[in-house]
Amino acid sequence: MNERRKFGEVLTGLTGLTLTLLLSFCLVIGLIFILSRTPLRTIYFFFVGAFTNRYYLGNMLNVAVPLVFTGLGISIAFKASVFNLGGEGQIYAGGLAATAVCLAMPAANGFLGGLSALAGAAVLSGAIAGVSGFFRMKWKTDEMISSFLLSSAVVLAANYFITGPLGDPKNNLLATLAVGPQYGLARIFPPSKLNISAFFAMAAALMVFFFMYKSRAGYEMRMCGLNREFSRYGGINVSKYLVLPMIMSGALHGLGGGLMVLGTYGATIEGYSFGMGWNGIAVALIAKNNPLGLIPAAFLFAYLDAGAKAAMLNSDVTFEIAAIAQSFIFYFVTAQALYGFARKRRRA
Amino acid sequence: MTNSPFSIPLVHNAIDIMTPFLLAGIGGLFTELAGMLNIALEGLILTGAFFSIVFAAATGNLFLGILLGLLCAMALAYMFGAITLYMRANVFITGLATNLFASGFTIVLAYHLFKTKGVIQFPGIPKLPALVVPPLLQRIPVVGDILFGHNVIIYVTWAIVLLSALVIYRTPFGLRLRGTGLNAKTIVSLGLNPRRYQLAGILISGLTCGLAGAMLSVELAAFVPEISSGRGWIALVAIYLGNKTPWGIFVASFVFGMAESISNYAQGSIRVPVEFILALPYVFTVVAMILYSIFRYVRSSRG
Amino acid sequence: MPYLEMKGITKLYPNHLRANDGIDFSLEKNEIHAIVGENGAGKTTLMKILYGLEQLDAGSIMLSGKNVTIHGPLDANRLGIGMVHQHFKLIPEFSVAENVVLGIEPRKNVLFMDRNAAVQRISEVIASHGFNIDPRARVLTLTVGQMQQVEIVKMLYRNVDLLILDEPTSVLTEQEIHKLFETLRSLQKDGKTCIIITHKLQEVMEISDRVTVMRKGKVIAVRRTAEVDKAELARLMVGRSVLFQIERAKNACGSAVLELVNVTLKQRGRDRALLDAVNLTVRSCEIVGVAGVSGNGLGELEDVVAGLRRITSGRILHNGEDIAGLAPATLRERGLAYVPADRLRRGASLQSTVTENMIVTSHHRFLRAGFLKGGKIKQFAERLTKSFSIDGGPRVPVGTLSGGNIQKVILARELATASNLVIVAEPTWGLDVASSQFVYEKILEMRKAGAGILFISSNLDELLGIADAIAVMYRGRVVAFLSNVKGLSKERIGEYMLGLRDDFAPPRTQKKDEPA
Repeated sequence: MNERRKFGEVLTGLTGLTLTLLLSFCLVIGLIFILSRTPLRTIYFFFVGAFTNRYYLGNMLNVAVPLVFTGLGISIAFKASVFNLGGEGQIYAGGLAATAVCLAMPAANGFLGGLSALAGAAVLSGAIAGVSGFFRMKWKTDEMISSFLLSSAVVLAANYFITGPLGDPKNNLLATLAVGPQYGLARIFPPSKLNISAFFAMAAALMVFFFMYKSRAGYEMRMCGLNREFSRYGGINVSKYLVLPMIMSGALHGLGGGLMVLGTYGATIEGYSFGMGWNGIAVALIAKNNPLGLIPAAFLFAYLDAGAKAAMLNSDVTFEIAAIAQSFIFYFVTAQALYGFARKRRRA
Repeated sequence: MTNSPFSIPLVHNAIDIMTPFLLAGIGGLFTELAGMLNIALEGLILTGAFFSIVFAAATGNLFLGILLGLLCAMALAYMFGAITLYMRANVFITGLATNLFASGFTIVLAYHLFKTKGVIQFPGIPKLPALVVPPLLQRIPVVGDILFGHNVIIYVTWAIVLLSALVIYRTPFGLRLRGTGLNAKTIVSLGLNPRRYQLAGILISGLTCGLAGAMLSVELAAFVPEISSGRGWIALVAIYLGNKTPWGIFVASFVFGMAESISNYAQGSIRVPVEFILALPYVFTVVAMILYSIFRYVRSSRG
Repeated sequence: MPYLEMKGITKLYPNHLRANDGIDFSLEKNEIHAIVGENGAGKTTLMKILYGLEQLDAGSIMLSGKNVTIHGPLDANRLGIGMVHQHFKLIPEFSVAENVVLGIEPRKNVLFMDRNAAVQRISEVIASHGFNIDPRARVLTLTVGQMQQVEIVKMLYRNVDLLILDEPTSVLTEQEIHKLFETLRSLQKDGKTCIIITHKLQEVMEISDRVTVMRKGKVIAVRRTAEVDKAELARLMVGRSVLFQIERAKNACGSAVLELVNVTLKQRGRDRALLDAVNLTVRSCEIVGVAGVSGNGLGELEDVVAGLRRITSGRILHNGEDIAGLAPATLRERGLAYVPADRLRRGASLQSTVTENMIVTSHHRFLRAGFLKGGKIKQFAERLTKSFSIDGGPRVPVGTLSGGNIQKVILARELATASNLVIVAEPTWGLDVASSQFVYEKILEMRKAGAGILFISSNLDELLGIADAIAVMYRGRVVAFLSNVKGLSKERIGEYMLGLRDDFAPPRTQKKDEPA
């Protein structure tokens, strides 16, 4: 009986999601008709363009990779009922940290150096988020606001380093010096930029899943997220789970940034990760904070991104149409009305 | 700004700078009092900025342009509120969606209309009128420079703040609004509909944020993408630091205005990297938040 | 012709629960009519339909012979119907006056409220019923009894003729209940009609003219109060004979399990200590009851003994060792079992499954290298679910269970790892007779096994039935420790609860009575 109930809930969820997507897509199509002089061509490229060649397809999957990481980061925080709103700064700084580590060791072994670069990224971003968590634990400072503010400051500080001390004076782009070639992650689908970080993403999703549902810390964290008073009453160290989820969330974001740098760009380009943080939130929502569901959810957002890029290159609309489409999905994905009415719980 | 020997440009500028925070904050206050978190202030400001100047340029009439810009901001606010309240969506997420939508939509429209995604200049639009006062008043030491010589919107803002305080504390609407935020179940038991008051709060925030945006773009005579650049978020912080009261928001906004004014001044003279100066308001706010929580924590646990 | 006639009222909830099933209810003008029934009988639903807070699925309502439709409280008010809710619908931060006029605020002109007119009119209503409330005072400064009076004033201000009261006495002291009944009788003299929902049979006998008995969504019987007695009402309510007395065993068998020595708890901003030099001892094989009106230290006592709040001074000893200041996790290692009063927030995580709820105190015993052993946990949960007869099984979300089953989950969890100290607070609040009996049985089992039990409750019947000794708290102090429970009356305990008697008053004190 419980299996049937669970299946029913999944079905309702999927129906709601389908409705969300349908509505959003209809609205985007409408917008395209209004704005484009060649609407049908634009629509074709928006919805199908990503699949038309290896370059578009591979790059689309590549864009999904950091989304998986930011989505995982947000999911962990949400499950623990702490709110990490600083994802943008954490992923940006993560990439920069990885770059800095690589630049400091221009001739080291690619594998070990790359690993330490990624570790550096995770540690730095974990610490940034952890600061907010710490103050929440110690003095009840609202971590949502503090993480956002810190991240905004971090983005600005990172920009200074990118265009200043670490900057590449010979390059026209606003970017750091390139990291040594031995650190680049192997490409797996040329000519696109898709690389082995895609496998890391899938591995990360699996590990987070096991952590959340099978480990002691994961159980305690979820209980704290659902009912802190109950968890405290039961003997769980609630303070720990105000800080730990933030650190883990930041670390995942940082990892995503580091992988973007090592896998796709080879250097930290100004603004390379903008939007990944916010979209991580939407992706986590669509996946209902379930680590395994994040993979299809990230894919969906990357698909919208790729579609907008293809439409922009081949037609007369601008790339920001993707943002509009994404905002509609944001709107509808939490509209309970689309998921059927919540069953009234029997009053205890 | 006058050239009187007693003028304090730092404070005078702070008052100009604080106005968007104050406007957005007061509007956001109405939503907060009704018990809804409103993080869409950013997107509403952006919408007001874009449409005000576009319509002002199109009609040649500043007042009409701003009015239409306000209406557009309120329309976006209505969409935000209606989806959240009537489709029962998560208010935090729809707030983010609203910001994302405003950001994308203004750029898409700007590209469609003006073929550019960058700064759009509107040299032809009329300037924002300043309040005309007898020069004698402006020469009053210190106070004169602070109070006078600002553009009209700033004085309108002060009137809005005063009006808001009256409405919130002395009218039935204000009582019910606050009641909705404090205990919605009680409101329902009296036969009132809490969603009406929440939607009203959101629309009011659309109005004030639209005005804030209008001021930003009209003063520059240009639309800069992402011109809101974090002001909506700072307004939200001002609401909390100001303890959700009009006067508190006024003070908090002034503090932020001063911080930015000082950092502008420092940019010119001190040789610190520009990014760090820009980051100053954020850092300052975080530090203020932390200190405030320590203060609150110590106060409640002593004894 | 009856004043109010509800015919064939049916109300279905989405999970197919028939809250009201073809109910006929009639009310005479100017009577005080009691509706009794167990929790879940449908009494509150019926009255909510009358007041417009719920909509009927079938049936009709006639007031003074005319058919009426009531879509919401405003309609009800217009028809002269008012309701005083069980859980007060007040806004504590607002003043009395603001709470009373909210929704029908008098206006000075188009825009602004006329505060003075409101205060004046409310003062008149307050004075005419002998209440003692300042209209300008903020509601959070009032006592519970006064808050209820505000709810009544709220309705009288709206000129109601019919007043519904939903479980009005559940939070009042004996004296406050007397005052309430006086008020109801005076309303009756003024020509008003009252409906009182309750499950306390003593009060039904005392105040009502007629009584309607409901069970499982249906009306079972309607009687004149003068023609029935409590036993018959109980039988009608439950459908079988009820044990009013509980089998009690002999004396305590040994050493002190729990000792509170001069425990004091202070909080900044409150000049009266929340717990004031409390001395209390619980021995093994003993049930020590703690009685008191809420707000007098019972909740704080619970928090402090369970390790959820730090005391300011004093000692708390478990088996002779000081446990004050230990973390909840450590106390649980020592085998402390704690069934909290706040079942739904503190005692359970409603969105988690029964299994997840059951292992919150013991999950660290099911580990292998940091990971939980799913199989062993499943076995544990299934065993407990069976032995405590919990409907639904280990994998349902706890929030879907009934109150009685939720309490069983909590009991199962706590008693599974208990050693010799058990704290229960309001364990049968809101439970039906069958579930309450189950709780008592389990507690008696623990006592037989040698545990010492601290039993905090505001239900005096229950305490008189089960406790070996009763401590009474008033304003944070223990004012009585009554070991001869047999001869005790509820009135006597009530006197202690209200501070009218004090066995332990410090000699130098002659404190003038502070306002409550």
